[in-house]
Order: sequence, then C-alpha cells, then structure tokens
Amino acid sequence: MKALIQPVWEALFLSETPYADMRAHPNPVRRGLGTILLIAVIAALVGLIGTALEWATTPAMSDIQAVVLQSIHDMPWYRDLQGLPEFRQQFSQWYETGWRIFPQLFGAPNIAGAGLRILWLPLVLTITWILYGLLAYIPARWLGGEGTLAQTLGCTALAVAPHLFTFATLFPYVTVGGLVGTWTLLCRYVALKTSHRLPWGRALIATMVPYALFGLFVALLSCLTSAIIGALFAGGMSQ
Amino acid sequence: MKINELLQLAWDVLCFRTDAYAQHVARADTLKRGLTLLVLVTLVAGLLGFLINTVQNLRSIDPAVQRQEAQVAIREFTSAIATLQSYLDLPPGFMARIIRYMQSGIDIGLRINALPTPFPKPVGRFLENLGTFLSLPFNRIAGWLGYTLWVLLVAKLLGGRATVTQMLGATALYAVPHVLDILGMVRCLGGLLGLIGTLWGIAIYVKAVSIANDIDIGQAILATVTPAVVGILLSGLGLFTLVILVVIGG
Repeated sequence: MKALIQPVWEALFLSETPYADMRAHPNPVRRGLGTILLIAVIAALVGLIGTALEWATTPAMSDIQAVVLQSIHDMPWYRDLQGLPEFRQQFSQWYETGWRIFPQLFGAPNIAGAGLRILWLPLVLTITWILYGLLAYIPARWLGGEGTLAQTLGCTALAVAPHLFTFATLFPYVTVGGLVGTWTLLCRYVALKTSHRLPWGRALIATMVPYALFGLFVALLSCLTSAIIGALFAGGMSQ
Repeated sequence: MKINELLQLAWDVLCFRTDAYAQHVARADTLKRGLTLLVLVTLVAGLLGFLINTVQNLRSIDPAVQRQEAQVAIREFTSAIATLQSYLDLPPGFMARIIRYMQSGIDIGLRINALPTPFPKPVGRFLENLGTFLSLPFNRIAGWLGYTLWVLLVAKLLGGRATVTQMLGATALYAVPHVLDILGMVRCLGGLLGLIGTLWGIAIYVKAVSIANDIDIGQAILATVTPAVVGILLSGLGLFTLVILVVIGG
C-alpha cells in the first residue's frame, strides 16, 4: 500500500518524478487504476467517519423540522392565512417536500449517503479518469506529444492526489471547498507535460481541451433541455 | 524538512533577503516547503481565536443570557436603521415587522440549540470549532492558488521562466507576515496588524514572482496586479450590462 501512496503524496506536490516513474512503468493503466481505487476508498471511509461524528453532534433533523414548524405556526402571517383550508394543505405539502430536499443541499450529515460513497466514489473517479485520459490523449498527440495512451492514463491517474486533502474531513465540520478541483487541474497538467514531454504552452492546451469539451457538452445539453421544456410548455398551453 | 530551517526561511523572507528567495525557488521541494510554511502560519494565526472560542463554548451557556444578547443586537440594529430612516423612506409598520421576524428567528435558533444530540453539547461545540480552525489553511490555499495561476500566466506572457512548482513554492511565502493575524481579535490593534500583514504579504508576493520568473520588479508588479484589474473590469462590465438590461426592460 505504501508503494502506491508514496508516489501519490509526491505527485500532490507536483514533483515530476512520480509521473516519470509511472510513464516508465510496464503496466501504467493497472497501476493507475489501483491507485485511484485505493485513494477513493480511503477518502470515502474517512468521510464516513467525519460524517458520523457530525451526525452525533447535530440534533435530529425531524426535531429541527418540528421546532421550525411550531415557530411558523406562531407567526402572525401564518395565523392570518391558516383559516384557508387550501393554504393549510399546500403549505404542509411544500414544507414536507422542502425538508426532504434542502437539508441535504445545505450539507446536513447523511450517514447513509456517506456510506454509499464507498461504492460510488471509486466508480465516479475511475470513469472520470478514463474519460479525461481519452479526451486529453488526442490533443496531446496532435500537439506533438510522445506518450502512449497507456502512459497518458497512468500519469493522469496520479491526478487523484488532491483527494488526499479530503482526508482532513476525518474531523467533522472541516471544509476543503473547491481546492480539490483546481489542484487536480494542476496535477493533470504535470501528468500530460511529463507523459508526452510537451513544452508548457502545449501541455496547458492539452490539459484544458477536455474541460472545454465538457463545458461545450453541458452548454449544448442545457440548450436542448430548455428547448424540450419550452416545447412541452408550448404544447401544454396550446391545448 | 527541519522546523529551524523553516523558521530561518520565514525570517529571511520577512527581511526580503534575495538569496533566501533564490535558494528556496531552486530547491526540488520548493512547493512542499512553501506550502508547509503557509499551513503552519495560517494555523498559528488562527490558534488564539480557536482557543478563546473553545474556552467560551465549553462553559455552559444560559439561554436567558443568549436571549438578552440577541435583544441587545436587535436594539443596536434598529437604532442604526432609525438614523437612516429619513433616507430610506420605509413604509409604516415596516420596522415593527422586521423586529418581530428577527425575534422569531432568534426563538427558532435558541430552541434548536436546546435540542438533544447523541454526543454531549460541549463535545459538539468543540468539534465545530476545531473544524472551522482546521478549514483555515484550505480556505487560504484555495484563494492563493486560484489567483497565482492567473499571475503565472501573465508572467509567462511577459517572458517569465518559472515552472508551476517554482511559482507556487515561491508565492506561498506571502503568507508569512499573516502570522500577525494572531492578534486579529484585539480591538483596533488587530485591524492595524492585519493591514500591515496584508501589505507586507503583497510585497513578498511581488518579490517572489520576480525571482521565480527571473523578471524585474516592474514586470512582477504588472503580473501581480493584472488578474485583479481584469477581474474588476469584467465585474464592472457585467454590472454595467445588467444595469443597461434593467433600464431597457423598464
């Protein structure tokens, strides 16, 4: 395990040595996959412990929901409107729906969700790694890169290193924020620069192409979704 | 990496000793050293606040005292609004409604605070403080990293020669004077020391950019301020567009 974690630790500090070692490895894809799975499982386990501690220091959500509801019932505007049966029914429905959605959005501790993360985090990180590796390989080669696809995948697997920051979430209430995403970008840049032996400008372009493609995909998806929703609404209005 | 070496580096950085910056940038572990200093300084700066909050939170808190403190805060808020009333043109009964809602909010907060938790309350309050304290370095790293990448890009366009590792390792030293933030809770003096720390940190940042990229101080200043200026201009443009859209929309 130490043989897998040590290079990740060095890769976190953007040292080119672990990336060059990965490039020279006889089976970089298998080693990369092992690295990703190991870090993802440890990160998820650490997160589970932190979430459990946070849950143990937070009142039950059902109790909080009841306190807020009682306080709303005591408010003058509610007393003014509670005579209307429609209002009472709709308010109750919206209140229940809101409490099913918002606590999760605002980071209320969810032990079941944190437990499931042990399964889905390795899966998500693996899929992201393969997709990114494939999408970055093409521009890297096009820009004169010398690395093979296996070397690209092996080196970009080390970009899982910033997930080491999330080990701090062993302590509840610690927030790492968007740091992991930005640092992953840096690790990917060093990975492509090293695996393809590219100068900085070309390595930067190869690093950013998958992000640009992803942005384009999201924009197209948003347009398509808006168009479908618009068409459905228009169809509904005309009937 | 020895602690006395790091302390010596911190001192040399504060004194703007060019050799110390150059030797730091030339090392293979420049980023590891810079980041270690940044994390240590941030934790030291936040230590006093963490200890004070921990001691305060470990005392049992009387809800009546909390309510009284909240009432004082509401009174201060309403008196502040009252001084502005002639400029604000508030509708009649507006202030009474605001006070009523603020009191309801305080009631909800106090009642939630009184709800039982699986672990004893002081343990929860301690862990919450610890979490906030341990998050401080991550917040600082996130801000510094995001900005420095843009500065590196400008420096490269100006002919800079730093690698990402050298640039990050060098500019992380900007955090050293922020050790003064440890006295941030002291009234007046804390603010003044914070300002001194910020200005000193900016000066260290510029020198670090200059040495890491092998460019002169003028170019380093340009590289440092350009991302901020572009950000401000873009924000201004966005705001201007929004105002135009609102005006056109009527």
